Amino acid sequence: MTCEQVNPGLWQLRFPEHEAAFIVHVLAQLGRHYEQDIGKLPPALRAYWQGSIGSGETSDAKGLQEEQEMLAEARAELRSDRLAMVETWISEYELAKKLDPWEVALTGVERDEFVAMLNDRRMQIALELGVTEADMDADAEAIPEDKRRHGILEIDVLGHFILATLGPQIYRP
Amino acid sequence: MSQVESMLGAKRLTPQRRGIEPRFEAGGALAMAQPGTETSPDVDVEEKLKEAFARGWTVIVWNDPVNLMDYVVYVFKTVLKMNEQDATRHMWEVHQKGKSVLAQETKEKSESIVHRLRGFGLSATMEKAP
Repeated sequence: MTCEQVNPGLWQLRFPEHEAAFIVHVLAQLGRHYEQDIGKLPPALRAYWQGSIGSGETSDAKGLQEEQEMLAEARAELRSDRLAMVETWISEYELAKKLDPWEVALTGVERDEFVAMLNDRRMQIALELGVTEADMDADAEAIPEDKRRHGILEIDVLGHFILATLGPQIYRP
Repeated sequence: MSQVESMLGAKRLTPQRRGIEPRFEAGGALAMAQPGTETSPDVDVEEKLKEAFARGWTVIVWNDPVNLMDYVVYVFKTVLKMNEQDATRHMWEVHQKGKSVLAQETKEKSESIVHRLRGFGLSATMEKAP
């Protein structure tokens, strides 16, 4: 894929057909995830979507009860907003007359949401599989268990899509 | 000891008792002006003092095995308006030490920053500044 800034507030994403199909598959998975009730998610994912706003001496959220409730509300709203975005993008894909490449124009805010959603998918897989730092450093192709190997490969591939959308952020001489 | 006294140091006299007006320098640092030097109107000073003392909450980002380094730098630059050097330094601190304190702000501002960082999938919390 490529991501080109066409004017100060607009980016043009272009996906070859097979990458577009992959991204739409990811969006569909995300849509199903966003639809789920947070309370019914596995504990690690529930913590990701709810969690505690406080840490250290404030980890019990004493004195932060109101903020904790507002965070929970904001997180639920975010899932609902992202579900709507997923539905819009899938619908645009289905209606697109040209799919090679599939072209999507995004504002700065939409571009941020797009990468944050791809990151949600990476986090979802990692939390479901209990992925560790060692897993991320290891050769994914060499992982014997199919589900784990596919999951970590998907995390890697989505990382490439995120970087292709944002461009490198760290200066490497 | 009140929180304000604690932040100033218990034995330090308040500026008013010593007849010295507080003033704020660039970056929010509190300095003492001697009598007769230029001072802001009392109301501004009071507001600025309140704001400085209210910035008693820190925003912390915690390490995780999945978020990409470049992505984390992008998020710090976007949410906290950091320059590349600062964003990169904080990213490395998270990666190597397990966490980094990104900001010291008011409770409301800290809450807003935590919400935005979490929206990008980073593990962020807030706590009372020591």
